[in-house]
Amino acid sequence: MTLSHCLLLATALFSIGVYGLLTRRHAIAVLLSVELMANAANICFVAFSRFRGGSGQLFALFALALTVAEVAVGLALVILLYRSHRDTRIDLASEMKL
Amino acid sequence: MTRPIVLALVGLFAPAAAALLLAVAPALRRRGTPAAALTILGSVASFGAALLLLADRLHGGPAALATVPWLRSGDSVIAEIGVCADGVSASMLVVVTLVALCVQVFSLGYMHDEQPPSFGRYFTYHALFLFSMNVLVLAPNLLQLFGGWELVGVTSYLLIGFYFRKPSAARAAVKAFWVTKFADMGLLFGLFVLFAATGSFRWDAHLAPAVATAVTLLFFLAVVGKSAQFPLHVWLPDAMEGPTPVSALLHAATMVAAGVFLIVRANPLFEQSETTRNVMLIVGAGTALFAACLALVQSDIKKVLAYSTCSQLGYMVAALGAGSMMGGFFHLTTHAFFKALLFLAAGSAIHAVHSNEIDDMGGLAKRMPWTGAAFVIGALALAGIPGFSGFFSKDLVLEVVEHRLGHVPWIALLGTGFLTAFYMGRVVVVAFFGAPSGEKAAHAHEAGWSMRGPLVVLAALSLLGGAFTAPFARLHGEPYALHLGVGPVLAAALALGGFVLAYRVYGADRRAAPAVLEGLSKVARSRAVNRFYEFGFHRVALVVSSGLAWTDRYLVDGLINMIGYETLEGGRRARPLQTGLAPDYVLAVVLGVVGLAAWAVAQ
Repeated sequence: MTLSHCLLLATALFSIGVYGLLTRRHAIAVLLSVELMANAANICFVAFSRFRGGSGQLFALFALALTVAEVAVGLALVILLYRSHRDTRIDLASEMKL
Repeated sequence: MTRPIVLALVGLFAPAAAALLLAVAPALRRRGTPAAALTILGSVASFGAALLLLADRLHGGPAALATVPWLRSGDSVIAEIGVCADGVSASMLVVVTLVALCVQVFSLGYMHDEQPPSFGRYFTYHALFLFSMNVLVLAPNLLQLFGGWELVGVTSYLLIGFYFRKPSAARAAVKAFWVTKFADMGLLFGLFVLFAATGSFRWDAHLAPAVATAVTLLFFLAVVGKSAQFPLHVWLPDAMEGPTPVSALLHAATMVAAGVFLIVRANPLFEQSETTRNVMLIVGAGTALFAACLALVQSDIKKVLAYSTCSQLGYMVAALGAGSMMGGFFHLTTHAFFKALLFLAAGSAIHAVHSNEIDDMGGLAKRMPWTGAAFVIGALALAGIPGFSGFFSKDLVLEVVEHRLGHVPWIALLGTGFLTAFYMGRVVVVAFFGAPSGEKAAHAHEAGWSMRGPLVVLAALSLLGGAFTAPFARLHGEPYALHLGVGPVLAAALALGGFVLAYRVYGADRRAAPAVLEGLSKVARSRAVNRFYEFGFHRVALVVSSGLAWTDRYLVDGLINMIGYETLEGGRRARPLQTGLAPDYVLAVVLGVVGLAAWAVAQ
């Protein structure tokens, strides 16, 4: 297993995440896609740390902690969205338009 | 402050105080009589100060000048404001305040039938006018003179349009304003050139010949407008729509003389340009003759006097063009007295008959002996009959003009003298002698003393004005001797001849219309000069300005409006980009990142 394999895996995960982010209409699915993208970045950190050295593994742990916080905020938003719209499809929420 | 300065300041501010008080206290103004009393009080103070000032000057007191800085630029003073009490301003101040006082007292009787508010308004304007005129007369430099000049123009507008409910009076006021404003551009631009050349507004600057000609020609344009010289004389006959005492003060004695006064004041500048003086000589003599011809065929007594004023102002301009400041200025002085007298006497007659037409009068001398005597004295003085003031001043004018430009202006002025006697003779014979032509003329009667008193004063001055010739000459440092030659004798003979001819023609038949005059009355009726200006206004000025207005409205404004419209339209087109949907924004971010990445790779 080489660095290239790891980066290919990370790229694949990231692309799937972007695809999901753009196509999914359900708020939970969008959150999951974002998680995929974040984990693609984590794989990159770990892989570079493993093959090139450096403190990437430590960074991956930090990123995991941040992701947890992010998910907490994201789920809170989903709950609020549900409360105001009785639905969690984000293409129904257009309040950001004036 | 020295005595002359104090006197000059009193002369300047007495009418100003009256005008200011009446302007800020409407209650006082609307009562009428208090306004008149205040104005006349101001004029009396002003006249008294002027007399004392003149007496000082005649006894050889020093010329006095007091100024305060007015316009500053950095540390240097561009122009000053103040009073200048010398021989020229002192004598002019006496003329102005004396005539103003006479006219105001006369107005007490003449305007008696006005409602109190408009009576008060009338006298407020008079106080303002006297102040404006004194600003002009006492100016220590040409810039302040210009200020007074414009103030006089405004008060003239107000007084011509005094009966503003009458459309013809309102139109005449606007016309007078516009014509003189057009001419005033000359004074303004002349001041610009003068300041550019010398850095000051002094009238005794030395200029290069070309600059002197430019400045004085520009000044002369203003004179042509203000003093109603051909071809800008058209406003003066129309200005007769104002009350008759106003015509006597502004449009005969003082305001129209301001133009001539400007030349007298700026004489050191005018002396530097031979060209301008020749132009003045030609315009002055030409106007004198032309206006006298038009006066022959007028039937409105005020219009006769108006054209006569143009004609006499022509004499003054011609004399100044011939280089005699004394001649022009002395004729201004005597003319102020006898023309004010003629206008006031005419006003008295109009007041009695309620008509301006001389054909509605007739036989007034018998019923109104004071008015009749005053008018006859004024007419004799105007025609220059020996012994009357007009003879002495006209003699001075004719003497200096005699040898200029191949005798042509001299002959024109001699001819004008004959015509003057003829048209004045006509008015005297038709309006004051013979049988009354109507009910009103038959029952005309003399008005009260407020109207008779000023007539007596002005008649005395018209009769005895010649006695002032020598002191007046001494005041202006020029030698004077009555020269008895062919000129004065010829002038006197022509004047007498004019009266005799008028008596022969109109004594027998008051409505006689000699064939010679038929053509003239056609010229007078054709309003050729007026039509020229109307053409110039409608076909040239209006077309050019509507073209400019179109350019401004559709090209300049259009460009600005288009930029504004396109901005709005662009915003409107960009609006759908903002959907408010999070996925669309995410798409934008992704596309942006992909774009950036592509750009980075391409680099």
